[in-house]
Amino acid sequence: MIEYVGEHTLPGLVGRFMVSLAFSTAIISALAYFFFHKKEESAYKKVARGSFLAHTASVVGIVLTLFYLLLSHYFEYDYVWKHSSLDLPLRYVFSAFWEGQEGSFILWLFWHVVLGCILMLTAKKWEAPTMIVFALVQAFLASMILGIYPFDLKIGSSPFVLMRNMAENAALPWTEFPNYLEMFPAFQDGSGLNPLLQNYWMTIHPPTLFLGFASTLVPFAYALAALFTKDFKSWVKPALPWTFFSIGILGLGILMGGAWAYEALSFGGFWAWDPVENSSLVPWITIAGAGHLLLIYRNKRTGLAAAFFMALISFLLILYSTFLTRSGVLGDSSVHSFVDLGLSGQLLVYLLFFVIIALGIFIIRYPKMPKGKTEESLSSREFWMFIGSLVLLISAFQIIFSTSIPVFNSLFGPEGWIPLMDDKMAPPLDAIDHYNSFQVPFAIVITLLIAVGQFLTYGKTNNKRFWKTITRSLIISLLVTATLAQLYDFWRDPIYLALLFTGVFATVSNLDFWLVMGKGKLSFSGSSVAHIGFALIMVGALISNARKTVISQSDVFLSEDLPSNENALMDLNDTIKLGGFNAVFTGMREDGDKQYYQVSYYAQDPAQAEERLFQLEPFLQVTDDMGTTPNPDTKHYLDHDIYTHVTYSSYLEPRTPDGYGKEVEVELGVGDSAVYRNHFVIMDSLKVNLGMNEENGNVEKLTLTMVARVINVMGLEYEIRPTYELEGDVLSHTDAFLEDAGFKFRFAEVNPDNKKVKLKAWTKLDENEKPFIVMKAIVFPLINILWVGCILMVVGTGLAVYQRIRQ
Amino acid sequence: MKRTHIAIVVVIAVAIGAIMVTINDASTYVGFDRAQENPGTKYTVIGYLDKEAPMNYNARASIFEFTAIDKEGLKRKVVYNQPKPQDFERSEEITMKGYANDTAFIAEEILMKCPSKYNEQNQMAGYDTY
Repeated sequence: MIEYVGEHTLPGLVGRFMVSLAFSTAIISALAYFFFHKKEESAYKKVARGSFLAHTASVVGIVLTLFYLLLSHYFEYDYVWKHSSLDLPLRYVFSAFWEGQEGSFILWLFWHVVLGCILMLTAKKWEAPTMIVFALVQAFLASMILGIYPFDLKIGSSPFVLMRNMAENAALPWTEFPNYLEMFPAFQDGSGLNPLLQNYWMTIHPPTLFLGFASTLVPFAYALAALFTKDFKSWVKPALPWTFFSIGILGLGILMGGAWAYEALSFGGFWAWDPVENSSLVPWITIAGAGHLLLIYRNKRTGLAAAFFMALISFLLILYSTFLTRSGVLGDSSVHSFVDLGLSGQLLVYLLFFVIIALGIFIIRYPKMPKGKTEESLSSREFWMFIGSLVLLISAFQIIFSTSIPVFNSLFGPEGWIPLMDDKMAPPLDAIDHYNSFQVPFAIVITLLIAVGQFLTYGKTNNKRFWKTITRSLIISLLVTATLAQLYDFWRDPIYLALLFTGVFATVSNLDFWLVMGKGKLSFSGSSVAHIGFALIMVGALISNARKTVISQSDVFLSEDLPSNENALMDLNDTIKLGGFNAVFTGMREDGDKQYYQVSYYAQDPAQAEERLFQLEPFLQVTDDMGTTPNPDTKHYLDHDIYTHVTYSSYLEPRTPDGYGKEVEVELGVGDSAVYRNHFVIMDSLKVNLGMNEENGNVEKLTLTMVARVINVMGLEYEIRPTYELEGDVLSHTDAFLEDAGFKFRFAEVNPDNKKVKLKAWTKLDENEKPFIVMKAIVFPLINILWVGCILMVVGTGLAVYQRIRQ
Repeated sequence: MKRTHIAIVVVIAVAIGAIMVTINDASTYVGFDRAQENPGTKYTVIGYLDKEAPMNYNARASIFEFTAIDKEGLKRKVVYNQPKPQDFERSEEITMKGYANDTAFIAEEILMKCPSKYNEQNQMAGYDTY
């Protein structure tokens, strides 16, 4: 037994104990609720509630313990070491908490207990059946952070494991040193938080998104409870406000992710149809469908089966997206999925367990479900709401199908379970185009339905009245659309023009419905405001994306088959044209590990050319662990944004103190050759010189000389002899210079494995060469409409929830 | 047949359409040889950087040239007319979307997988060489 020095093992033990407690109390609670439901004895209820409260307490305990570890900088813990560092600002401790898989599972567990406790106290007769579902889900989730290995099977990955106990470090020599924490500087500080996540959006986006994920469990639990108890009808009323809560929060979480991407990432936009984005959008689409189907049932007692189905698949899709992003299956196709922790099997069991139970009971109960007796009228609101929900379903299906290509590969690819395909399928080359070709038409239908929906009545709409009331909105919308189409040149794209019109129409008609027909009453506002918000998101996304202009585009075409270059090269203090501006790169300022590149913008009009309009400072964050991370800077105007980020900088080119750059490294053995900047480098021999200590026979000095020839394009040969000298612990190099070509060669290292030599080569840089940056600048017109839409949609959904609760 | 049934049939039809289009739009992961056989056709090639071959970025012409080795071990010059991606030298794996012409593979989009900090931790654990 080794006595380790300086470790804090107690909090880890507490953490692991809490996890086991959370796991077992969840199972006890599920069982007790099951018996209470069967036998209706209040003793069971007490046990069930008590154990769920104990479960809640242990989840809170897990959260506090992990925070305690992070705040105390106990880097002997793997999670703390991997996700934080001493210099991490306090405000990013939250981001560090949920950067890793384990932390985000804990966040998810936490929201489930919050919602579970509310449900437990408010669900009344639904308490037992819904809480069984909750407790089972919690048991599965808690198992993800258990970190135990029964029968060589990995169950969960614990955030409370010491680094020396990690499986990947097992039996490494340093784990045997009792004072390893003091011995190795690497343990004194953590490896830090990914710079992309050091952004305030990353403090609020994950918790909101996970609350959104968690909230889909409530409608799911209600639907499942209703199917099991065969009480098909009365779940709809209590499930409705929860469903709308879910629509609002999950929507908010997704949009915050978009805002973060726009602000901190540099793919140039807020949405890129990335698999990770898609997999959280899809459940939102289906939960929105579920909400509307529940409304139909509440008002017209029809469409119940569809409501069940959508409520069930929303949560199942959350599980599926968890599987996609955390099992490593997305690997090649997404840049920002989690690292595979070896939990894919467990995640698959979790997913399949609920898929089989939910869809199984749905199919078994389907014949007994009450169906609408009469056929819905073509002019009824419920018919078109139903159609809208179907369109949402198909839209969700299209997105998830395309996102699942990597899954199909592992099922049917050449190396899959059932090798049906000869080649591995890759995601569509132009993903944005692929998704848009489906989603734009779907959006047209949805926004059109939103536009007319409020003017249709349940049952049968009076034709004359409908046209009378909607004509005003129709005319206004046509005028607004025509103006926008003229301003932003939409006449040439009929599909986009159609979406522009339906989006504007949906906005105007809902505004009209709320302000004129509903007289702006609060009780009328929820759905109108939310729909206005959604329609504005569509309009804003359409205009800002379809009409974004890359103003840094250069006129240089290398050849016809190369796409045009969208990046501008800016020499220090030279003025270049950037769209409607004259722009000057005026310098770089360093702040910690960030390099801020200052770019000033001036008007092109000679009369005002003196006055600087604004300055942007996109930066590059250069860290040892994560490399170089670009971060954009954006100038916001009311009607457009100018978004810029640095794609290359000459400051990053390594330059030696004596003015050499263009460093390359190559490994050569005797007889090997390499090409460096149009010169052949051939290694002829390696001379070894040992300086022995005469008294004890130890080697005191080792001198290695590489003899090589450099041959230029003219066939002229030069000999170089870079040397490598090791005297005691002191390593020194004698570099070889080739003055004519401006080269410098260094014998950098010996590779003991293959007895080859690492040769580094540099070229003398022109001292007068100016520093430069390469920058991309994009104008996003009317992007503020999108953000206004986001806020309205969330506010509107919130109002709708409030109204539903009051009913 | 009820109207809703008709709607559901339409939905299923669109769903099948979506599947067909996706399969059609999807590219395949191939090696350089396949791209070479069909010049001009777009493919996704996964490979890694040949660190022994020269790598050249000319910022003024905005042209970045390097040599990549695909999974079958084939080497090919790759031309990318975008700025050199940050930390390109550190990449473990490069996903290149583009097409072949007679001299090189023209990449339109490059994604890199960089060694994550998890790997770096393994390096740190390599103190056993001391």
